[in-house]
Amino acid sequence: MAKGRTNKLATVIKGTGHASSLTDQGKHFEISHDRRSIDKRLLEASAVVAVPLLFAISGIAIRYAAFASVSAEPDFESYARALCRWDCHWYVDISELGYESFPIPNQSNVGRWGFFPLYPMLVAGIRTVFPFPTILVASITSIACSYAACLVAWPLFGKNMRAYVLYCAFLLSGPFSFHFTTFLTEPLFVLLTSCVFLALKRSNYLVAGVSSALLSATRLVGVLVVFATAIQMFQQHRGQGNTALSFPRWLLSRPDLLVAILISPAGLFAYILFLYVTVGDGFAFLHVQRAFGRVAGNPLLFLWDGLSAVPTTGWLPTAPQWSALAALTGLALSVVLAVRGQYGAGLFCAVCIILPLITNLASMVRYVIGLAPLIMLMAILLSASKLIWLAILVLFLGACYFMTMAWIGGYLALV
Amino acid sequence: MPWSDTLWPYDRAGSFGGYMVAAVLAVSEVVILALALHPDVNADYRAYYIDRTTTCLNRDALGSYTVGQRVSFRSDGAKQAAGMLVCGWSGPVADGTHSLGETSRLRLEIPPLRDGLTATLQMAAVIRPPQMSQRVLISVNGIPTHKVTLSGKEPTTVSFVIPHAAFANAKALDMAFDYLDGIPPSAAASNIYKRSIKLVSFRLDAA
Repeated sequence: MAKGRTNKLATVIKGTGHASSLTDQGKHFEISHDRRSIDKRLLEASAVVAVPLLFAISGIAIRYAAFASVSAEPDFESYARALCRWDCHWYVDISELGYESFPIPNQSNVGRWGFFPLYPMLVAGIRTVFPFPTILVASITSIACSYAACLVAWPLFGKNMRAYVLYCAFLLSGPFSFHFTTFLTEPLFVLLTSCVFLALKRSNYLVAGVSSALLSATRLVGVLVVFATAIQMFQQHRGQGNTALSFPRWLLSRPDLLVAILISPAGLFAYILFLYVTVGDGFAFLHVQRAFGRVAGNPLLFLWDGLSAVPTTGWLPTAPQWSALAALTGLALSVVLAVRGQYGAGLFCAVCIILPLITNLASMVRYVIGLAPLIMLMAILLSASKLIWLAILVLFLGACYFMTMAWIGGYLALV
Repeated sequence: MPWSDTLWPYDRAGSFGGYMVAAVLAVSEVVILALALHPDVNADYRAYYIDRTTTCLNRDALGSYTVGQRVSFRSDGAKQAAGMLVCGWSGPVADGTHSLGETSRLRLEIPPLRDGLTATLQMAAVIRPPQMSQRVLISVNGIPTHKVTLSGKEPTTVSFVIPHAAFANAKALDMAFDYLDGIPPSAAASNIYKRSIKLVSFRLDAA
């Protein structure tokens, strides 16, 4: 349609001169060409903006349908509350009450310290402007963050619209879309991860550093993205024909790069300082893991234990099997990222999987699907064939319904 | 071209400012790290969260108790029992209050007494083959008082004397149960989830 409009416009331009010279015709051609290019860009921009919006709407409809099939209360707040499961309640508490000092009230061992502050702080800030129930504000903020994450991801897809559509569908209408639309840190984590990698792609290290700082205040593993920044700097240095040995010297001669690296963990350090002042222990977010029963062990053994937890009835994999499979798939995709030359993203994703795997397989599915570079890669790989792309798209939308029901029902693999 | 390439190499003031910001960030991070490596916490916090030398995080629970009174640790006595539970317990439920971890503690207020006390506890062992018995070390206000081996699923009545010296100057009686044979729910599970006994009832009488 836009193309037709451009052609008409070109004809009108051409038809205005009765005695057009060859130069005039050339000018007219340039104008029509520029106009066509502008229209194409407008169309593309409209699609980039509209696609995640459509999936945001369809996602709400599908998840609401799943909720309505098991609930008698039809209002949106009940829906938002039904989707608020597991860690979501911790974030609601942090957003409303903040963090406890020690001793923890109600004679509890489990402080909120293990949950990072940026997202609950953001929701608390928005709630001061829009005084609605926390879960409502958080759900809308999460959808907005996931929507923004899609927009930020577009330049990372290299104009691959099919992959972009699949990515948007996955985040906003996919089988795990409840993770990206309720009060969990995944929406902000994916958004900030995308910001970091987009900034790195554009060699804008200061923006990458500031985004990393925010990421490190969102989840502990967010701080690991600094390695991706350092690798990108190294690649840029090598790309300029310099030797690897001269990298430290080059880095020290660039204060902007030093600031970018040193600011990256600032969010984590700010939280450590806050915990030191509040609890007396800056590493309370690590130490409190004891109260959650997390103990360090051999990741390979955890994986093996998970894989060998075969179902006693039926053929569907058990929750530990799903978790182990998610970890293995995530690690395999990290390797693929590295093979494709995205060393920083590959390393970041692999470490983000291995680090929690040291304690056990808990929440592994959520951790893996919250790694934006992996999901982008998956979207690119699955969109290579149009037929497969279409089938996966339909599968995502259908699975959204059933997985939402499983989430509401408390299926352990989705925790 | 990144903004940094255009700005920094030609702007000495900017370059100096950049180094200053980098230095401030580095120093701040080192200072915060140093603070974090030297936590300012009490002994209970340190023992449970940092050193991991106990599974029982001490709290300022203090139950009211009258000597001679029998306290049920099943669901029916939940109200009174709850005040006495310091840490290392789960429940009460129908068959008693279950121990959780490697140590459990009870604390109750006691009046000044001239003589020692006789404690009478009803306890049952948690059994999962091959672990068929549970050894329990009971201490009062830090003084080892009794050692018992429980076997069989049925509750066993255990009586022992608490010497007056154990609580002579104390306003509270702090009874600790250390379990030597706790059963973890799985090989990889944390020791905070070990199961050893079910406490059914508790009674103190003047000796």
